[in-house]
Amino acid sequence: MTANPGETPSGTAGAGTADLTLDAKVAAAEVPPALVAQSLSQYLKASWLRIRSGNSGVLPVILAIVIVAVVFEIITPEHAYLRPSNLVYIFGLSTVYMVLAMAETLVLLLAEVDLSVGAVALIGGTIAFKLVQQPGPNWPWWAAILAALAICGAIGAAQGALTALLRIPSFVVTLAGFLLFSGILIVILGGADSTVSLDTTVPNQNIIYDMVQGLIPPVVGWIILALVVVIAGVVMVWRAASRRRRGLTAPPLSVVAIRIALLAIVGAAVVIICSVNRGSSLKSVTGIPWVIPIVLVVLGAWTLVLQRTRYGRYIYAIGGNPEAARRAGVSLPAIRIWAFALCSATAALGGILLGAFFYGQYSSNTADPGQLVLYTVAAAVIGGVSLFGGRGKAVHGVLGGLLIGGIAFGVSLLSLGSLSTPLQYILPGGVLLVAVLIDVVSRRGSVSGV
Amino acid sequence: MTAHQGETPAGVVDLTAAPEAAAVDVPPELLAQSLSQYLRASWLRVRGGNSGVLPVVLGLVVVAVGFQIANSKFLSAQNLVNLFEQSTVYMLLAMAEIFALLLGEIDLSVGLVMGLGSVVVAELVQPTGANWPWWAAIIVTLLACAAVGAIQGTLVARLRMPSFIVTLGGLLILEGVSIIVLGGSLVSIGNSQYRNEVALYDIFYGSFSPVVGWILLAVLVGAAGTGLWLQDARKRRRGLETAPRSLTVMKIVIMAVAGAGLVAVCNVNRAHFGTIEGVPFIIPIVLIVLGACTLLLQRTRFGRYVYAIGGNAEAARRAGVRLASIRTWCFVLAGLISGIAGVLFASWQVSLTTNIIKASNSYVLLAVAAAVIGGTSLFGGRGKTIHGVLGGLVIGGIYNGLYLLGVSSQWIDVVVAGVLLAAAIIDVLSRRGAPGRA
Repeated sequence: MTANPGETPSGTAGAGTADLTLDAKVAAAEVPPALVAQSLSQYLKASWLRIRSGNSGVLPVILAIVIVAVVFEIITPEHAYLRPSNLVYIFGLSTVYMVLAMAETLVLLLAEVDLSVGAVALIGGTIAFKLVQQPGPNWPWWAAILAALAICGAIGAAQGALTALLRIPSFVVTLAGFLLFSGILIVILGGADSTVSLDTTVPNQNIIYDMVQGLIPPVVGWIILALVVVIAGVVMVWRAASRRRRGLTAPPLSVVAIRIALLAIVGAAVVIICSVNRGSSLKSVTGIPWVIPIVLVVLGAWTLVLQRTRYGRYIYAIGGNPEAARRAGVSLPAIRIWAFALCSATAALGGILLGAFFYGQYSSNTADPGQLVLYTVAAAVIGGVSLFGGRGKAVHGVLGGLLIGGIAFGVSLLSLGSLSTPLQYILPGGVLLVAVLIDVVSRRGSVSGV
Repeated sequence: MTAHQGETPAGVVDLTAAPEAAAVDVPPELLAQSLSQYLRASWLRVRGGNSGVLPVVLGLVVVAVGFQIANSKFLSAQNLVNLFEQSTVYMLLAMAEIFALLLGEIDLSVGLVMGLGSVVVAELVQPTGANWPWWAAIIVTLLACAAVGAIQGTLVARLRMPSFIVTLGGLLILEGVSIIVLGGSLVSIGNSQYRNEVALYDIFYGSFSPVVGWILLAVLVGAAGTGLWLQDARKRRRGLETAPRSLTVMKIVIMAVAGAGLVAVCNVNRAHFGTIEGVPFIIPIVLIVLGACTLLLQRTRFGRYVYAIGGNAEAARRAGVRLASIRTWCFVLAGLISGIAGVLFASWQVSLTTNIIKASNSYVLLAVAAAVIGGTSLFGGRGKTIHGVLGGLVIGGIYNGLYLLGVSSQWIDVVVAGVLLAAAIIDVLSRRGAPGRA
């Protein structure tokens, strides 16, 4: 941009975009290739430029997922890692990390951190499970979930207020929050050894259980997939067309077509994997776990909020440069408090999924809140969310969560004997460090970031 | 102070005569010429947000009085010694954490460095295993923990990775490594047949005989008093600003009285059956660490650079301070002191299990809480090692007191979290109130 101020058009893109692609790498790295390129080859070239300049997006994490899958398939006994039953299990295991990582992403984008997500998630799950107990409150499932989200949202807002209004460093506030809510969690559970479990014979409780354990029949899965692909495709084509009509730059049609095809292929692969019988020959188990569409809905919602709303733009603005955002009239405390509240509410959903994943059993042993938060931050950063704010998307959390879940499950498959427990700590720790290292180095390499 | 412009020696006049800002920034003992001036200057500093150890001492008094009212056993000699012993681990970890906090960084791995240290030292003296002499085991443990600090410090200092993430990843890895070193499910140093295990065990549970305690106190107060006095005399001779003589005498007297109280309390027989009396070995150990760290931070060039970086890293860099090496060394020291805590921890726990290793992680919160409660700033550049000791005592007192009252551990966590938050809020507000600081 700085290279030829005279040639580039003043405000909007339009005719002048040719300059951007041809010209200084700085600009190419800054502008999404979809907006600049007029043909597929230009698009690929622009993407490559972005990657070279450190703006590699989801590419590293997808590469890492592939490597992890291949390596574990080779080293696991009987090459069991990529069996459909295991893949479905990995999806289930990963969803918790995916949802928590999406929650953490909201806060990381502001260049803050929330170390209490693990404890808050467990509190959310416990509240929801407690509220549907039959001898007990016996709330309808949706009211219990909403109450858990609301309570955790309030917790997040309180922590956000301490950070945003008093400017206490967020990692200290949420460190104290971690301790506080880990204690309160045990109080809510009713003591260190207490459990709360769902009674699957009661339809109301069974719905929460089914959020992870329930299966959509393959036929319905195909229908849903077809609907999703068609709707997404129509929206993409329509948006590209409407942009073009208004004289704005739009991705070339071939790029749109490739995206739709990719979506269809990935979706079809998931449905096919889930449709393979993973039970025994006597009792067949097939179908897509409900949790997959649930995570996709959360992903869609946060993607919309972050990419398409003013609120999302403000989050990126604050993460990029809070002082500039403030001078542009953004109310920093309000945006920050909301981000912490939304983070904690999303975490509560993750906690509910976690309980359902553990077959509807919640105890203080279900998960260690400290380890959960480490996995969460690791998932987000591995996915490509920057710790320094302003860079990252919800989809990074999903991919990072899949990677962490894949590693955790792969380690548990290996018959390592006494090494298996320590590796559950060492691998995520190592992966977290590598991810941050990449983040730091890529920021240094990138032209824009300092 | 402001009243006697003409009487103060040349050079200082401007500072003392100047507005409160100067008085707040300069230590009162440098300006005051008499005890009353000193007290007035101290008050000014407190008012200006530079309250030093005052809040934490107040906190100690509140904790002591409150728990004594709730349970009359709290201030019994038996419980006090118990409290000191428990607090030593918090104190050491807080002192380790202070080296990171002074830079404006944080080390979240101190708890697990301690855990690793405890496992390493316990494994090395096992007669069926390495069977090293206890002193060699301790030295190797401390070196290993310092090396962990060096690696983390290098990542933070050279690559400028955020310290809280490096140490977060570090603690995960350390948790795994500790479990690997632990090997089986349990390692114990409780066998009284083996000399090396006994030596380790005695670090926490052994005591000096009462007489030796008094002799040590006399030697210590004598040495420290002479040191202080000579230092003052030398400064005065060279025409430098010196604290008034009455103040020096008062410091020595306070030291002697506090020490005598401590020794007297420790010399009460605290056993239910038989006799356990005398100053526990760990109290002088903590005091030695405190003394060494205080000297290092207050009296050496390294210490001044640490404060300079914490106050304004860019300014320090432009003044020629080599940021990377100072930062790395601070993390090495944090690892080393955590290693000392690890040796104590092994001695305290006697038997180490996987669950105890996992639990050692939670100590980092207490370490940060102790440091911040003690008066060390989270934003760097402000704090002393003594803050870690006092803050550790507050945390130990809260734990001990709540435990005496039969409060369950989850509520204790809640209270400690509240204390940490309160300390952070005070830190933020006092920075805001302090003149001359952003």
